[in-house]
Amino acid sequence: MAEDGEEKLLATVQHIVQTLGSSDTMTEDILRVFSNYDGRLSLDKLYAARAAAASAAGGGGGGLGGGGGEHSMPESPTLPPPPAAAVSAAAGRPPPVTSMERTVRTLDRQISQFVAMDGLIWADSADADAFLEAVDDLIGTVQELEAAGTNRGLFDRAEELLSRCMARLEEEFRALIERPDDAAPAAPGGFRSDGSDDEEDFGGGDGYGDEPIPIAKPVTDYDVVIDALSPGSVANVHQIARRMVDAGFGRECAEVYAAARRGFVDESVARLGVRPRTAEEVHASSWEELEFDIARWIPAFNMVFRILIPSERRLCDRVFDGLAPFGDLAFVAAVRTQALQLISFGDAISSSSRAPERLFRVVDMYEAVRDLLPDLDPVFADPYSAALRAEVTAVCNTLGSSIKGIFMELENLIRRDPARVAAHGGGIHPITRYVMNYLRAACGSRQTLEEVMEGDFGAVGGAAAAVDPDRPTSSLAVHIAWIMDVLHKNLDIKSKIYRDPSLACIFLMNNGKYIILKVNDSELGVLLGDEWIKQMTNRVRRWSMDYQRVTWGKVTTVLQTGGPGVGALPATAMKQKLRMFNTYFQEIYEVQSEWVIADEQLRVDVRAAVAEAVMPVYTALISRLKSSPEARHDLYIKYTPEDVEACIQHLFEGAAK
Amino acid sequence: MPATDSSSAAAPLSSFGRSFLSHRRDQIPPPPDHNHTNSSSSDLEIDAFQRHAADLLLDLLSDSDSLLSLAWTRRLLDSFLICIEEFRAILFAFADSQPLSRPTLDRLLLDFLDRAVKALDLCNALRDGLDLIRQWRKHLAIAAAALSTSDPDPDHAAPRGEAQIRRARKALTDLTILMLDDKDAGGVVGQRNRSFGRAGTTRDSVSHGHGHHRRSSSGGSSGSGSGSHLRSLSWSVSRTWSASRQLQAIGGGLTVPRANDIAATGGLASAIYTMGAMLFVVAWALVAAIPCQDRGLQAHLTAVPRTFPWAGPVFTLFDRILDESKKKDRKHSCGLLKEIHQIERCSRQLMEVTDAAEFPLAKEKDPEVQEAAQELVQVCESLKDGLDPLERQVREMFHRVVRTRTEILDYLSRPHNAS
Repeated sequence: MAEDGEEKLLATVQHIVQTLGSSDTMTEDILRVFSNYDGRLSLDKLYAARAAAASAAGGGGGGLGGGGGEHSMPESPTLPPPPAAAVSAAAGRPPPVTSMERTVRTLDRQISQFVAMDGLIWADSADADAFLEAVDDLIGTVQELEAAGTNRGLFDRAEELLSRCMARLEEEFRALIERPDDAAPAAPGGFRSDGSDDEEDFGGGDGYGDEPIPIAKPVTDYDVVIDALSPGSVANVHQIARRMVDAGFGRECAEVYAAARRGFVDESVARLGVRPRTAEEVHASSWEELEFDIARWIPAFNMVFRILIPSERRLCDRVFDGLAPFGDLAFVAAVRTQALQLISFGDAISSSSRAPERLFRVVDMYEAVRDLLPDLDPVFADPYSAALRAEVTAVCNTLGSSIKGIFMELENLIRRDPARVAAHGGGIHPITRYVMNYLRAACGSRQTLEEVMEGDFGAVGGAAAAVDPDRPTSSLAVHIAWIMDVLHKNLDIKSKIYRDPSLACIFLMNNGKYIILKVNDSELGVLLGDEWIKQMTNRVRRWSMDYQRVTWGKVTTVLQTGGPGVGALPATAMKQKLRMFNTYFQEIYEVQSEWVIADEQLRVDVRAAVAEAVMPVYTALISRLKSSPEARHDLYIKYTPEDVEACIQHLFEGAAK
Repeated sequence: MPATDSSSAAAPLSSFGRSFLSHRRDQIPPPPDHNHTNSSSSDLEIDAFQRHAADLLLDLLSDSDSLLSLAWTRRLLDSFLICIEEFRAILFAFADSQPLSRPTLDRLLLDFLDRAVKALDLCNALRDGLDLIRQWRKHLAIAAAALSTSDPDPDHAAPRGEAQIRRARKALTDLTILMLDDKDAGGVVGQRNRSFGRAGTTRDSVSHGHGHHRRSSSGGSSGSGSGSHLRSLSWSVSRTWSASRQLQAIGGGLTVPRANDIAATGGLASAIYTMGAMLFVVAWALVAAIPCQDRGLQAHLTAVPRTFPWAGPVFTLFDRILDESKKKDRKHSCGLLKEIHQIERCSRQLMEVTDAAEFPLAKEKDPEVQEAAQELVQVCESLKDGLDPLERQVREMFHRVVRTRTEILDYLSRPHNAS
């Protein structure tokens, strides 16, 4: 391998010697120059190689334009004369300097031709190679002159020449990055617009033309790399970057690179349809608009951070391969603005309203950012992009606290819900439906909510997140239990606005039963735990008993006739009781058949309990009346036991008048 | 720039915070003894807060040479961060004893929050502005490197050669184009269009480039042909956004609290007013210093009674900065930051000295170049050291405002009967 490299080097030098040396003395000088700065280029080796080459070519000491036949030199007969100052400064120096001067003069001639070329040097790969070769020689010469430090004038001249080379290389570099197809080895496989783009037709006819700008097509799979430049172009561009860095122009190179790539990055992001929004706009926008923006932002964010930026990193790493830190500098400069712009939308959303309905979209945003974090490490590994990495982490935290805040806001919303309007017929209050459905939906993101409640934003690390969202003691579970408590208190206050305490009971039962159903029916059950459900069920039972007592207590009391036989009521008293029952029952029936028990099972149970309490005593009373001789006389039975039974079965139907 | 500076986000305070301050900062929320104080002791707190705001401003004014330098701007941000921290401490200590959500007080707080939101966008714009300066610095660093590498001992250094001068001039030309680009059209008008027209522009610039190369190889101006491709960064705010208007919105309607409002809020009205004024003053000075889209310093505070201890310092600060902005050579600057002025001055000087220079450089010209180059190096260094921390402080300001806002909203939404 090393041997091979050496051979190549020798061949290159030999080639240069052949191209440049117009006389034997001059060739010797050049050979001495080479041997001075690289031990491998011993004169012996070079002479041997030269002799071999000469015999192969069939001619001695190749002159200018003769031996260099494989290089197509640009036609440019007017060569700038070497500045007089440099010549005079070099006068009277020892021989090696004279040869050095010849080298510089020759390189000047060669390079000036290239620098003056109208088209791209890289349009012809042979030109490109020859130019690079000359640049390499010049860099070596400059270094040697600098090390020697004896000939200031010549050094300045060589440096001046070098700076012209660099200016030209910079342009070639930029052109190759921006329009890679113009280069000669148009290797296929690069990422290019497919040509069907509207943009291409637009203004394309006037010759002023928009180049088709390569852009990212919509994708669903983020495991994609955009290769903006073909391997051939990358190799070309890398060659130039290496020369620029070698010559101490690394910063310029990184700048040009970043400027050239920024256009592509800006363009790609613009096509994703996310528009920049200020925090103020976000605060002033309706939630519908923001939902729309978020829906666009999430895929755009993924596209940018999962495809565009890693692709830029890859390209940069290849172009600046082995040329650290310039690649890192260039990379950050190319992607920074767009990355920050996307991030700032996250900041704006986090700092805006905390209305509970925003939870789900913000969770989506948070998850997008959080899931991205581990994948960013390889992309933003260098110290120059550390600040960007920190911004992504920061926006993840901000979104996390925002979720926490939004979730907390639910509590305030419940507390503030006014107890002015009663639900019709003691039915399920809208707040109960809202809260329960909200919490059920929130459970869909319970891993995330748990993480956020615990405060370890984005501390994913995969399995490392030791939070078990299924235990009722987790932060989320505790918080949800707390919210249920707040809801319960609020419902309790609301129940007080019913004048009829029975209806208050029905209201509480209805809402309690609804809560239990929703909890059992979802992951909320896991979070709140069996104990909680048992307590809630007991509560509903207690309300149910309260209802029985309040509504039917007096009824059954009226129906009490005492035992048969001794102490039995007189017939008139029994009749009186029946009349009272009739009044009570009619009243209750009229009112309570309009009440609502939403849950069918609960309705059945409550009716059954009512029937169980009322029917035996009522049937007993009727039969006592019927069997009593005094009472039987002009006995009016308004409700037969069957009637009563039927009426009970029609309670709580919520029948509208 | 690598963000590996030793200073953490919390560190800036140490650079200039007083022990009294850090003491106060550690007491959030204040210890229970002070919690159940009567109004007179919270009055004391509020008075101390206002006097402290005044002291911070006086401190900023104490050294008029450093006004609007990077270091000064960092101190300005420190002052703001200290103020908002003290403000929170006062507010939340108060909130522990009585609800913030009551008439007058909630109105004043919501008004403050409105201003705070507007400051957020300003922070983003300022970050863009700092990034712009960072971009300039890169070109500056190239020029500085080109001019200063030759010899460690300046007395024995040979005069700078054509190559060095050419390289420096190219970098400075690119820099000038970037700075001009930012100056006209508020920096970014037409950014989108420009970026869509990129390919065409580039082709154009290549042909210019060739013209340039012929010129420069014949020893003419060594301006850069690549200038047209250079483009300042895109701003993260929309094109119609205006820093000037934003300032007006932050300061607009910031009125002196009425006596009965102060009484009704247990003095908090004064603290809120002070905080609002500090927010405005700091935002205003930052916009003055740092490039921003559509800068303008027309916004002003309406008459602040002298009874507020910070009134005097605030107006002195306004006056000093306005005086600075009216200076002939600063009028059209894209930012009053001292370092920007230095950049402009020494790059102009270098361009003048080296324009149409003969090579090697004449003996009498070289010291001039050297002097300007040294200034260049020095600006580069102070930018290198100062930009990253300043940007972090601007971010800190952003996050601190967001947090304060959220906390206040939390207190406001807490129902009265909350247990």
